[in-house]
Amino acid sequence: MEPVDFASFAVNTGIRGGAEDVAATCIREDVKMVRFSNSKVTVNQAWHSSILNIMVAVRKRVAIGSIEDLSRGSVKKSIEYLLKTAKITPPKRDYVRLPKGPFEYNATQKLPPPPEGSTMIKYVEDAIEGALSKGAERVAGTSLYRKVETGIATSAGASGYDSLSSFEISVRAFSDEESSGHANSCARNEKDFYPAQAGEEAAEIAVKAANPVQGEAGLYDVVLGPNVFANLVNDVVNAASAFNVDAGLSFMVNRLGERIASGSLTIIDDGTLSDGLNSRAFDDEGVPTRRTIIVDRGILKSYLHNSSTAKKYRCSTTGNAGWIVPQPWNIVVEAGKLSEERILQELDDGLYVTNNWYTRFHDYRRGDFSTVCRDGLFRVKGGEIVQSLKGLRISGNLPKILRNIVALSSERRWVKWWEVDVPTLTPHILVRDVPFTRSTK
Amino acid sequence: MESLLEFALNYAERLGSTYVEVRCRRDVSNTITMKNGEVQFSGFLREFGVGVRLIVNGSLGFASTNVLNRKSIINILSSASSMAKASASSKPIRFSNETVATDKWEVKQKVRFDSVSVKDKVELLSDIDKLFRSGNDVKFPSRLLILNETLTEQIFMNSEGAVIRSKVPRISFSYILTAYAPGKGTAQRFNKKGESRGWEAVTSWNLDRLASEEAKILGRILTEGMKPPKGEFDIILGSEVVGIICHESCGHPFEADRILGREAAAAGESFVNRSMLGERIGSERVTIVDDPTIPNSYGYYLYDDEGVRASRRELIRRGVINTFLHNRETAAVMGVKSNGAARSVSYSREPIIRMSNTYMDRGEYNFEELVESVREGVYIKSFMEWNIDDRRFNQRYVGLEAYRIRNGEFTNPIRNPILEITTPSLFMSIDAVGREISFSAATCGKGDPMQGAPVWTGGPEVRLRNVRLGGS
Repeated sequence: MEPVDFASFAVNTGIRGGAEDVAATCIREDVKMVRFSNSKVTVNQAWHSSILNIMVAVRKRVAIGSIEDLSRGSVKKSIEYLLKTAKITPPKRDYVRLPKGPFEYNATQKLPPPPEGSTMIKYVEDAIEGALSKGAERVAGTSLYRKVETGIATSAGASGYDSLSSFEISVRAFSDEESSGHANSCARNEKDFYPAQAGEEAAEIAVKAANPVQGEAGLYDVVLGPNVFANLVNDVVNAASAFNVDAGLSFMVNRLGERIASGSLTIIDDGTLSDGLNSRAFDDEGVPTRRTIIVDRGILKSYLHNSSTAKKYRCSTTGNAGWIVPQPWNIVVEAGKLSEERILQELDDGLYVTNNWYTRFHDYRRGDFSTVCRDGLFRVKGGEIVQSLKGLRISGNLPKILRNIVALSSERRWVKWWEVDVPTLTPHILVRDVPFTRSTK
Repeated sequence: MESLLEFALNYAERLGSTYVEVRCRRDVSNTITMKNGEVQFSGFLREFGVGVRLIVNGSLGFASTNVLNRKSIINILSSASSMAKASASSKPIRFSNETVATDKWEVKQKVRFDSVSVKDKVELLSDIDKLFRSGNDVKFPSRLLILNETLTEQIFMNSEGAVIRSKVPRISFSYILTAYAPGKGTAQRFNKKGESRGWEAVTSWNLDRLASEEAKILGRILTEGMKPPKGEFDIILGSEVVGIICHESCGHPFEADRILGREAAAAGESFVNRSMLGERIGSERVTIVDDPTIPNSYGYYLYDDEGVRASRRELIRRGVINTFLHNRETAAVMGVKSNGAARSVSYSREPIIRMSNTYMDRGEYNFEELVESVREGVYIKSFMEWNIDDRRFNQRYVGLEAYRIRNGEFTNPIRNPILEITTPSLFMSIDAVGREISFSAATCGKGDPMQGAPVWTGGPEVRLRNVRLGGS
């Protein structure tokens, strides 16, 4: 059976059992992953899974299940359990019936055959060789191929199939024990996938990062590289999910229509991009995905919605269901006007941060957070890198950083790796007055 | 099912594997999520599949599937094997020699999860939600409560003859609470309770009292909290903060796979290296333990996911680096025995080195004795924000519930005191350790793809001397 057949079977079974609304997605995934460290492969991984996700609603009472045993008996039993559970769950005030289909979806592209095991290893070898050729002492990383097929059916008449494959590599090159650089390449097609270039770029940063000295705390003008801004923009967009707004996990509460960022910043969620690693024709309610402007030249324009959160906010769904939590698809930060080279030259006296990790919030409502700089971190004077630094973290307020953006580069990179869940296309950005802290002892 | 696992073992050996292990695992998980007093959904997750790990030509391969038939097993084994063969290395991977076990272990639920109705569970959450809103003078506009119960059953077999069956129930309750007062802004609290037990765990947590206290404390922080003082102070850390420190600043850097660079690309490496065994890293007062065998703990297990018997390990003993956390691969590299730290969170993920329950061992002081000699100090009981660099050397903990101490007495609450310090300085600054240990539940993230593993973090209260409050 195909994914859409499993989903349809679940919907029909749910309706026969007495559900008012049923939606089901069946996701079939094949993944190959090669991890490497110390310039050699550490583990080869491959996994296959087929998962059926089912939502049933009875008189606004919602139950959701996810199963991996897709036999008819298992599906029937699961739906019986979901219906029983839904009936004794209190109603959800803002629940609305599933959007009425059928819907028209864009045609699915034919996927190329998956890479052979030897090809997966070749990507890794290319990345390692690229890094070593540019002066890295050792190289680590992850290379991934992923194929996802999704079928959907809803009791409101939606039915569809979509598929996608993608390639990712994340490379971290070391020039000594404490000095490293990170770069990645990710693409929907092998022809746009550049493992060797990612290796070279990581090594170039690592070499520049050699012999770092302890950085000093203070307010700095900074250039944040695409890895850093992609990480922060993931948090911005998560804060725009209407569920998180209601749950207190957002600094955007009651801010629609207000300025929340510099006029140079525009952030978009787009599920329709042909080069997006997380594009899909439909959301989990069967609504066609779309392009949604979240922040338009600094003004908060929209939260991300499913049908139920849209009803509460008296607007239309943005095609981002998540039956409970609206989710972004691909994040796009609009490009600026300066070249990457020029944006660094704009930095008279400041820092260039190429990567970060471990972003944590003290108060999501206020947006108070810190994140640790990692890999290349540089002091810049007169537009030139003059020193490699270590031991600093950005300890600030996310809305304030967004307001203090003064320029964005014209070139953009796709970023997706361990610290960036949602694929993000972003430029380098220049920000004024960002607070940095360090250990006091 | 066992015949399919034996087929996988045999087929992998036919492909040229010198070592094979198979795990068939079923996770049955039920969740209720309540937001602002309203149930968002009741739901379940049922995972069931087989994961196979093998060594071919000295290379490691891992593959998994949830399509449980011979054809699917052949497909994934062929895929893992062909990739492993293509990456054959001049430095073949070896596993340490370990005792081959045939055993069965189980945590029995006194009160089964399914003996308590969804209706009763929802009522419990509703009652807690009401108590969360009970704080005086402040509002609680956002409350997110999540109750989760998971039953994990597994059969482990390997080509050396091990057969281990296990069954573990885990239950957790977590919440994030936002308090608001006009003119004072907001304050937020995240917390999690978790154990490897049946429903009786929830009863023992006394959630009514916890909710009332949390609301009261958060309200007090918001309305009475003052700016933290600047300068050098003695600092008393509560067990919640001590627990996260033991986890982040001792457990992670003592993971041997980090030390050897295997996690360098994502989760990072370690400032600790092999030659530092036996070196002093903290004061005489500091002993830090990782122990998976604590009954009913959230990180409980009796055999790891490589079939090695679990054991208590003292990572730091009286301030000296004593041992690392090992799996069979790192143990072979370092010429020691595995201490059973390999865990996987799903049939579809490779076992990697993980902590279980990491805590500072008890000292000799009661709480009053810790505080009484502090002339100018700060007590940081709980935290909200924290992070640490990927070599585990520079860390930051931002206090949530915290108080000023003057002449051995607590005075006013303070808001957001920051401890930003290096790992050796932190451990060397500890001059006294309390007697009473308590634990917090957490989900530890590591691996690529990310694996969130259930752990406890804990310890008694400790006293640090002459530490500058951070943030600059």
